[in-house]
Amino acid sequence: MSTASYAQRISRPIGWWGMAVFVAGEAMVFGALLVTYFHLRIRNNPWPPHGVPEPKVAVPLFLTGVLVSTSGAMQYALVRARRGFASDARFALLIALTLQVTYLALQLHFFVDDLSKFSPSATSYGSIYFTLVGAHHAHVFVGVVLTAWILLRLVRGITSYRLVGLSAITWYWHFVNALAIIVTLVQVSPSL
Amino acid sequence: MLIRTQLAGANGKVLGPDAYNQAMTMHGVTMIFFFIVPIGIGAFGNYLIPLMIGARDMAFPRMNALSYWIFLASGLFLYSSVFLGKAPNCGWFCYTPLNTRQFDPGLNVDFYALGLIFSGISSTAGAINLIVTVFKLRAPGMSLNRMPLFAYAILAVSFSLVFALPVLTVDLLFLELQRKAGFHFFDVAHGGDPLLWQHLFWFFGHPEVYIIILPAMGIATSIIPTFAKRKMIAFPLVALAELLVAFIGFGVWAHHMFATGIATAQLIFFAGASMMVVIPSTIQIFAWLFTVNLGKPDFRAPLLFIGGFIALFVIGGLSGIMFAAIPFDQATTDSYFVVAHFHFIIFGAAVFPLLGGMYYWFPKVTGRMYHEGWAKASFWVTFVGTMLTFFPMHIVGLLGMTRRIYTYAPGLGWEAYNLAETIGSFLLTVGLLMVFGNLLWSRFRGVPSGPDPFYGGTLEWATTSPPPHYNFAVIPIVRSPYPNWDREDREDDVRRFERGQLVLESGHETPASTVRDGVLDEVLEMPSESGWPILLAFALSIVFIMLLTTHYVIAGIFIAISALILAAWHLKEPAEE
Repeated sequence: MSTASYAQRISRPIGWWGMAVFVAGEAMVFGALLVTYFHLRIRNNPWPPHGVPEPKVAVPLFLTGVLVSTSGAMQYALVRARRGFASDARFALLIALTLQVTYLALQLHFFVDDLSKFSPSATSYGSIYFTLVGAHHAHVFVGVVLTAWILLRLVRGITSYRLVGLSAITWYWHFVNALAIIVTLVQVSPSL
Repeated sequence: MLIRTQLAGANGKVLGPDAYNQAMTMHGVTMIFFFIVPIGIGAFGNYLIPLMIGARDMAFPRMNALSYWIFLASGLFLYSSVFLGKAPNCGWFCYTPLNTRQFDPGLNVDFYALGLIFSGISSTAGAINLIVTVFKLRAPGMSLNRMPLFAYAILAVSFSLVFALPVLTVDLLFLELQRKAGFHFFDVAHGGDPLLWQHLFWFFGHPEVYIIILPAMGIATSIIPTFAKRKMIAFPLVALAELLVAFIGFGVWAHHMFATGIATAQLIFFAGASMMVVIPSTIQIFAWLFTVNLGKPDFRAPLLFIGGFIALFVIGGLSGIMFAAIPFDQATTDSYFVVAHFHFIIFGAAVFPLLGGMYYWFPKVTGRMYHEGWAKASFWVTFVGTMLTFFPMHIVGLLGMTRRIYTYAPGLGWEAYNLAETIGSFLLTVGLLMVFGNLLWSRFRGVPSGPDPFYGGTLEWATTSPPPHYNFAVIPIVRSPYPNWDREDREDDVRRFERGQLVLESGHETPASTVRDGVLDEVLEMPSESGWPILLAFALSIVFIMLLTTHYVIAGIFIAISALILAAWHLKEPAEE
């Protein structure tokens, strides 16, 4: 199908719907993780338990702010790509990708740092903390791979197939960023 | 069968306690995850949905293939445990702390947890595919209010799967982290909570029950109008009821936990929510009964099975309402009364429509008729067998027989009932053999059926039997919920075929419509066949085997390989004009 038929389409493509339903399922994964977090928190006092340092506040919040800003870059890339400006889209994607990779690298550094301070196999706090945060990082990682993938595809120009891919990936990022806000707030909540 | 033979008399010697536990767990897991759900959704849903909504294929044909191969691989994964003598032995809901390494050190539980995560990927992919297909691939003119009720049922099921399965996956992930990496989610000593397992499990587990029953309801609403020769009464209400059953199913999980000491306020909420399920169920039961009553019913085998289904569903439903009463539940929990209740629902109510549906769509799939006399006989044998097997379980349950025991002492007054149940189970087996024997014989010797032997109302009867692989030569245009009864519309289709309108090229194109109104929106090019899905399923199997045997590095390598396969899969784009 040509880009012309994309322009004629009045409703969202099946690829977008597939991603939307998938994201709904993913939301349930995090729903279960967050419910577990609070379920265990109600049953444990103090939280975090003795001998476990309280989570830092400023650094995770700042990093999450950086990550959330990439949603804007992704959306801009999508809008420009729809109008046919491939180089604008590629540039926005490149900026988004750089920020995302930096974010992930720093977060992994802090993750390993946390691991050296307290263990996931000593307390239930550690278990759910590392599982929740680790699951979030895994989603960011998948997003990074997808962004890199679509950027490489767009090097060879825009097609309607790639546009559907870009819109699905952008949608996935909006979801991951919404999650980032929630997960980070929960992660730092014992120190607030 | 082994289970019933073992329990036929007191102090049975057929199976030891460990073998009994393994057999019982595999019975539960197989029936729920690897029989009813795949047959109801995988076979009936996947085959019928595109036909009923006038599409040529599923929305994502390659993902469909992937879903199938992963299902096969996960089944092989789980069953390999039987041959290793390490089959799961903790019951299908596998409660903590019995599932921890301390009490169950072997690989049995790991097979259970990883096997179910693995098959969950397949179910999720299948469910996403069905939702998008129903939303987007309906024939032009098929707005939501003209969508077949079977499609509503499958839509409700798919949404339940998408929302419920991830929670089970997380629960199983916690379990594996606890067993393999020493995390503490479920043990009190380190701040965990064993009830957490139950909450998460039943948040999945109760919607799962409706995932089992809803395809059956969808089949009933397909068979009844055909044989009653009239439209379903209260069509929108029945559609709504199907969706409501799935929705309320998410608010009732703790009624499996009335005896675990959760707070009274929780108990009352869940008791109330559980009683609410009665409302949509009853709407459907009355709609079915009145449709039969107001029509001119022709009691052929498929309708007989639906009649049996309604009877068994009412009995199982009534004992279900009894459980919603908290004191009654606390008195009978974990007794054979519960076993009786859920077998009436899961076997009686879920499998009878499946059998009826097999007869009903058999001519469509094979182009040949089944043998009507044998089919009716098989219904009566199966029905009597079911009643004889499961009804006495109510009585022994009230007499105090607990579930999941592998033997019992003589003199408790249970022997006669258990013997009756065992005889019933043999009768039931004979009935099922008659069904499958009939279908097998008819496959080769049956009378040719023609495209529409029953004069059904939905679109699958508008094409030839068996349907060509592109389903419809010309895409039908729909103007009512029972489009096959609008003769002039179908004659229009033939004329459009002759004019070459909406005849899409070589079966590889299919139209997509808007979600609500079913307005023709665009024409999709369907992808060609591909070998990547089977390769991906194979790589994922290796990942799970390595996780099972704690070779994490190799598992990581194969995850990377899976990602590369996915990339290769998407490398070839559809041709641009």
